[in-house]
Amino acid sequence: MRYADFTWHDPIILLQGLGVSLWLFLATSAIGLALGIGLALTRYYRVPVVARLVQVVAEFLKNSPVLVQLFLVFFGLPAMAHINVTPVEAAMITLAGNTAAFVYVIAVSAMEQVGRDQVEAARVFGLTRGQIVWRIIAPQALAFAIGPLIGLAVNQLQVTSLVSVVGVMDLTKVGNILNMRTLKPFVVWTVVGAVYFIIARLIAALGGALERRLRAHAAWAGL
Amino acid sequence: MAFDLTVLVPYLGQLADGALLTAEACFFAVLGSFVCGTLAAFAATSAEPGLRRIAGAYTGLFRNIPFIVQLFFFYFGLPEIGLYIDAFTTGCIALSIAGGAYAADVLRAGILSVDPGVVEAAKVSGLTRLATFRLIVLPIALRASVRPLGSVFINLILTSSILSTITLNELTGAAKIVASTTFRPFEVYFVLLVVYAGLTYLMSLAISLLHRRLNRYMAEG
Repeated sequence: MRYADFTWHDPIILLQGLGVSLWLFLATSAIGLALGIGLALTRYYRVPVVARLVQVVAEFLKNSPVLVQLFLVFFGLPAMAHINVTPVEAAMITLAGNTAAFVYVIAVSAMEQVGRDQVEAARVFGLTRGQIVWRIIAPQALAFAIGPLIGLAVNQLQVTSLVSVVGVMDLTKVGNILNMRTLKPFVVWTVVGAVYFIIARLIAALGGALERRLRAHAAWAGL
Repeated sequence: MAFDLTVLVPYLGQLADGALLTAEACFFAVLGSFVCGTLAAFAATSAEPGLRRIAGAYTGLFRNIPFIVQLFFFYFGLPEIGLYIDAFTTGCIALSIAGGAYAADVLRAGILSVDPGVVEAAKVSGLTRLATFRLIVLPIALRASVRPLGSVFINLILTSSILSTITLNELTGAAKIVASTTFRPFEVYFVLLVVYAGLTYLMSLAISLLHRRLNRYMAEG
């Protein structure tokens, strides 16, 4: 017997898939953000070998397909290092690393955006290096980086759909299963696409509100 | 297991076939996305509000839905309406449409940066709207847009790896087969990483050359 029709279970499975996608997105974005900013600091502090190494690795991660990186972690790591990697772990490692590489590039250019004269002035006032980074550079760099970071977030949400290829039960994988069962590709993929679209617009709207807040001090306030 | 690249030597031909298929798909996708992007950019900058709305919907829709979902939509959906085309063509079409949405935004920005006086001069000279766009606006816009277009095309190369999910044995698909034959996935995918980085580097070189050629009449500095 074949259950080829849609049932009332299907929206629930779809929501579960959405939950997995969103959770992966939020977790890897948080890890990637922290990691990327940390790595950008190695460059700011000119840590001898590490800074150069980070730059090369980031360039590689930016210039290769996420799918291949995912295969390298999911199939390659267990074969090479003899450790077990579950699909979710592989997805986490790959997406976090990929996000970190893009955050690194954005953070580096945002930190360079802050004028050298400000750093010198802060030094003259006797601020420590840590204080300069935290009080002078961070607020201005954040206001500059927030736009690109939101663009990155919208993009990374879409990248999470790739983890379905290694068997993570995310929104796309659920769509795939429903598609195979019901053989109604137009309905299934339209619904899945619409859900991604709505989430992406939500992220963009939230990011836009955040950006306006961060840049409020720089906006023309009127005379 | 030690890291050993020599095990891949007998499979180089297979990987090269895959790379060739990737190159072909990317060639058609770059052409297709340029055409789609130009048409959409023309619509997005036209005086007609209806056309502008259509272009906005196109770019918004295809930039905010994951490519793999779009690909499955075309791959599984097209046979449903009686269109039986092979995976390669489906992949090229999907890549062109998705890439076109990104190219359209880049070209639109380039077109909006064209001095309005130039467009007025063309109008006064009696050129039709299409001729103005093709002969005056687009060449000027391309000078500014060729670099950002390059990063769209580089992204297209990286995105083409997703075509392996619809049974197309391009570079990633071929590598998957080699990995499961040799049981050396780490080496295979590591090499793949390097090859893709090389492909994107070639693309950025080509774009730099094109940029210099398009800007050859511009004054230095």
